[in-house]
Amino acid sequence: MSSSKIDRRDFLRVLGISGAAATLAGCGNTSIESGAELVEAFVQPEDFVVPGIGVYYASTCAQCGSGCGIMGRVREGRVLKLEGNPKSVISGGKICGLGQAAVQVHYNPDRLTKPMLREGDSLKTVSWEKAMGVLTARLGSGSSLSGEQIAFLTGEVSGHQKVLLANFLESFGSTNHVVYDALSPAVGHEASKAVYGVEQPVLQIDKARLILSFGNDFLGTGPSPVHMAAQYARFRKAPRGTLIQVEPRMTLTGANADRWYAIRPGTEGVLALGIAHSLLQHPEYAHSIPQELAAALKPYDKETVAEITGINADAIPHIASLLWEKSPSLVLSGPSAEGHVRGFSNATAIHLLNLILDNRGKTLQGQANHPFPQLSPAFGSYAALTRLNQAMSAGKCQALLIAGCNPAFTAPTFVPFASNMSKVPFKVAFTTQLDETARQCDLVLPLLSPLEDFGTHVAGYQPTGVELMIQQPLMEKLYPETKGFGDILIDLLKQRKPDAYKAFPDYYSYIKTAVLKAKPVFKSKESDDNFWEDALRNGVLDLDLPAAQIDAKVSAIKVGAPQAAETGMQYPFYFVPSVRADLRDGRHANLPWLQESPDPLTSVAWDSWVEIHPTTAAQMQIREGDVLEVQSTTGSVRAKAYLFPGIQPDTISMPLGQGHTGYGRYADGIGVNPFKILDPNFDEQTGELAMYATRVIIKKTGENAKMIKDEGPTTLQQGRKLVVTMAADQAELAKEITRVAQ
Amino acid sequence: MSLSNLIKNWSTLRVKRPYEDQYKDKDYKWAMVIDLDACTGCNACTTACYAENNLPVVGKEAFSKGQAMHWIRIERYWGEGDELPKFPDRGAQFLPMLCQQCESAPCEVVCPVGATHHTPDGLNSQVYNRCIGSRYCSANCPYKVRYFNWWQYPERAWPNPLEQQLNPDVTVRSKGVMEKCTFCVQRLVEAKNRARTEGRRVEDGEVTTACAQACPTSAITFGNLADNKSQVAKMWARQQVDLAKDKQEKSDENMRGYRIFEDLRTYPSIVYMERIRDLQA
Repeated sequence: MSSSKIDRRDFLRVLGISGAAATLAGCGNTSIESGAELVEAFVQPEDFVVPGIGVYYASTCAQCGSGCGIMGRVREGRVLKLEGNPKSVISGGKICGLGQAAVQVHYNPDRLTKPMLREGDSLKTVSWEKAMGVLTARLGSGSSLSGEQIAFLTGEVSGHQKVLLANFLESFGSTNHVVYDALSPAVGHEASKAVYGVEQPVLQIDKARLILSFGNDFLGTGPSPVHMAAQYARFRKAPRGTLIQVEPRMTLTGANADRWYAIRPGTEGVLALGIAHSLLQHPEYAHSIPQELAAALKPYDKETVAEITGINADAIPHIASLLWEKSPSLVLSGPSAEGHVRGFSNATAIHLLNLILDNRGKTLQGQANHPFPQLSPAFGSYAALTRLNQAMSAGKCQALLIAGCNPAFTAPTFVPFASNMSKVPFKVAFTTQLDETARQCDLVLPLLSPLEDFGTHVAGYQPTGVELMIQQPLMEKLYPETKGFGDILIDLLKQRKPDAYKAFPDYYSYIKTAVLKAKPVFKSKESDDNFWEDALRNGVLDLDLPAAQIDAKVSAIKVGAPQAAETGMQYPFYFVPSVRADLRDGRHANLPWLQESPDPLTSVAWDSWVEIHPTTAAQMQIREGDVLEVQSTTGSVRAKAYLFPGIQPDTISMPLGQGHTGYGRYADGIGVNPFKILDPNFDEQTGELAMYATRVIIKKTGENAKMIKDEGPTTLQQGRKLVVTMAADQAELAKEITRVAQ
Repeated sequence: MSLSNLIKNWSTLRVKRPYEDQYKDKDYKWAMVIDLDACTGCNACTTACYAENNLPVVGKEAFSKGQAMHWIRIERYWGEGDELPKFPDRGAQFLPMLCQQCESAPCEVVCPVGATHHTPDGLNSQVYNRCIGSRYCSANCPYKVRYFNWWQYPERAWPNPLEQQLNPDVTVRSKGVMEKCTFCVQRLVEAKNRARTEGRRVEDGEVTTACAQACPTSAITFGNLADNKSQVAKMWARQQVDLAKDKQEKSDENMRGYRIFEDLRTYPSIVYMERIRDLQA
């Protein structure tokens, strides 16, 4: 904010009105208020800062890609707390724990406050002049790099940062923007595209009467959990919808299911086809798909499917009849079904159910075609990382710029990203805090925190119309020697293309110009100044657009003979990593609130653990707290056993996100990193990493340690009537008074 | 609670709590409803509470000793009886547990120094600078929602500049003091003061707790039970839960409202609504 040309007084005038109005109310009936007495304040406060009164400013959460609108509570110039922005269609005034913790990104004691430059084996603090000197010497106007010689590696990025990044690369004749996401949705997107013609259809959870989800954790780690949770709340009101979840390891969404099935990992597609086969027995659906496809489903009788999946044979026609009974339904595919060698075909088999059930247009729609496709995010993939890795290995990459991802931590061992980085002569990291990847770079530039910076965002998942999100600083920057990512890009672009960018003193002026250019799209009659002020005050610019149609390409669904899951004597267990809604791929492990927030399913905090089914544990004589060695073909990790009933008995699970070695005091030395024992299995259709296809052996080490967990000595209510459950047919939700809009 | 105050107000202090229509002519009685069918166990409320109420992060070692300071926590159960089912095939049983602000609070009567007592608007309050750390209250609390400061957290929980996040409206507690959920009393006080200045009562929806505000499924409803037009009062009435009864007589058995450990005659201010499961599925 301070680096921009905008006058602070002007800027705050737009936003501080509620604070000024609130002053009068805050003082009580005093002689001062009635004007009988005048007092002079000893300390003259800054303009629009009213001591003791919190003022709220709108901005956008940058903790994940959902693009939730948030409000920051600011008092005496400090941001204290984040709330949801009620004006945002995506957040609806709500916020998740991960979003709350953004203030700890901002105030993190391990934040990087000054640029760092490599000197031999270590990074040394340098001034901005020196850092920018090094950067522009390599990548400024005189740079001769081109094409594949330069690469920009980022996480999911949207809005004008994405545009500037592409423009920067273009100035080198390069399109080498590599988007990497360790938890990439690529397989799911490809399968949706093949069947529906769109990567991310809009899920109308609230309109469904039955949801059948194959490992889709829409309440925890899906593309827009806060929005989905609001929809879920409506789904659970009269007439109450039913949720059936099928997955090898219980997710947060599975924990809320009316019926939860533990399935053998990787066989989700077989079950889906078994249900499809069963559905076709109903006359209503008999002709819903082509004859050849129906014929191909013949071998998927319930006994065969039960044998392969481990699901009770009678459950299959039962699920089918529920789907028939409770229409419209919604069938979802999720990461644990897609992260396999047959992941793509699992997903298309699951989508086949939606086609048979004719859910298209009822609970599944296309995202609106909006006028800002250039601002929509590029999604990450594993393939992008391997391509970059090969280029680095071959010595083709001369300059690597990294922002918003940490491949040194998340890349599996068979992608030697960290060691290949040393073959790149110039590596630059843009970050708010040193992580494992930044520590290997030659130059590290300290960024403003998301609560100090301007920006625009367009989320990949737009539930209705499109929402252009405005991110604005909630306070002055904490450290003078930090800079916005967009500002640095503008500085670089001024070197590369001086004519095109000389009009923009900074990133703020760039996005303001860009947003004002979009004014006609929003059909606003306001003056430019008012339009921009409204955008800042509301934090969102909404455009109501009709939902798009989606296709139904049955031909994309290939059905072969039923194949059993792979087994192996040497590695007897399936290894299903779990993704925590707060830590995600480990990028949030530096936030103390999230470390101390117990995992909802196990109540474990500050640690890694190995989930094992109690019956399996009993057979192997494993007790809680026994330290196990979990070994795959690529490596092994050690962690304590946790007996967990929500898991398929031939499966063990470990949470991702822990095991950092260079990410600050709250992350380092906590738990282990299961990314490093993933086997090199790939989806046969897309070539993406099959994250859930690793097989392991577990060995007892003979050690036992106390579990770091919140739950008490029992996980049972023992008749105490703590959580009472009512059967759905008894509840009379329509008679209840509720806060949730029907 | 000074001796003179005690003697002077003996007759009002000795009343049996609660009694019917106790809050009928009062301005405020803060209460809550938590819908367990809407709660997904996501932990948004717990983190919001850390942010609002200056809860210290105690760290790995203290956490392993059960010293976490989460005023609201999500308990998770796998079974209603004594037996662990082979699979939790009806999902998990999540329970957001926080101070129930009991009308007849077991913690209040055992405090040797009157550090915890009942406020006129029906809160079970904790006066930090009276507390001597006897921890009797915690021992007597059937809900186990009182948290003791075993360490001097102000010195270690907020390394610079994390302390800048601290909410100036809320005290940072020091070693030897008991603390617990306050129903975000700082927000209530601010709203009450504002309303009083404007010569009115706090309106429904004007103030809410941090947990209710964050909750992505709106499972938590907070409000003023003394205002019979408030959402929370309407919900209590429709759910047929009477604050002053320890056994609810429901004419409509399909209403889901209940209070936890009601038979202990604590008269909690939080009504839970039963979790629902489609058992046909």
